[in-house]
Amino acid sequence: MTPHALLFTIAAIGISETAYLIKTRVRFEKPICLIGEQCATVLASRYNRLFLFPNDVWGLLFYIASAMIAAFLVIGVAPMVLWYLMLKIVVTMGAVFSFFLMYLQWRVIKAWCFWCVMSAFTIWLMGAILMTSNLLNI
Amino acid sequence: MRRTSFHILRVGLAITFLWIGILIARQPEAWGGYLQPWAAGLLPIPLARAMYGTAFLDVAIGVLLLIDWKTWIAALLAAIHLVIVLIVSGITDITVRDIGLLAAACAVMIESLPFALKSQS
Repeated sequence: MTPHALLFTIAAIGISETAYLIKTRVRFEKPICLIGEQCATVLASRYNRLFLFPNDVWGLLFYIASAMIAAFLVIGVAPMVLWYLMLKIVVTMGAVFSFFLMYLQWRVIKAWCFWCVMSAFTIWLMGAILMTSNLLNI
Repeated sequence: MRRTSFHILRVGLAITFLWIGILIARQPEAWGGYLQPWAAGLLPIPLARAMYGTAFLDVAIGVLLLIDWKTWIAALLAAIHLVIVLIVSGITDITVRDIGLLAAACAVMIESLPFALKSQS
């Protein structure tokens, strides 16, 4: 249960973070940049919308899906094998997409956004937890 | 309260409520065991069903706190819920922590009250 509990907690933090970004975008406000001053540069760039929807919406959907699957695994909703496989697929997709977004910030936009970097590390941490639990069989 | 500390408290409380909701949904009967016999006797529905309702309420409060929408209503519900928990289960080694959660819920509620309500008080 411990890895799923951790994944759920991290996903919940991700939900609050992406909900904040969506709220500020919809209200045409500048998000508070806790570290650095380039959040607005990244979030207002032409790359803030990939695959039809803004990236924050994709992030929110990712975190909601991850939190729900982790919750199903904790509660023991059948079929557990399918939920575990789905969690692996969702987190892998999120981790790969985060690598792409980090590359865009580094090489293309040439600016770093605190929230985007935090989200990427959050997703990679989820991937690391999944891999570790898989290796240790817990 | 400074905004950053408010958001840390809000998200922390949200995760606690979400987690409790999930854990209650996982083992409703076990969590129902914390109820005092007199309180369990007052229930008009089976204990398990009442606990599933509690789990749903906890998750709903957690979601509202997490997305920072109608936060004061969620925090008010959380505070009322915790007061009821303390009454129906008594202050035990487990529920003593609910006093801290109750204080946190009250702090979030007061901080997120709409301006109109704040100016009246």
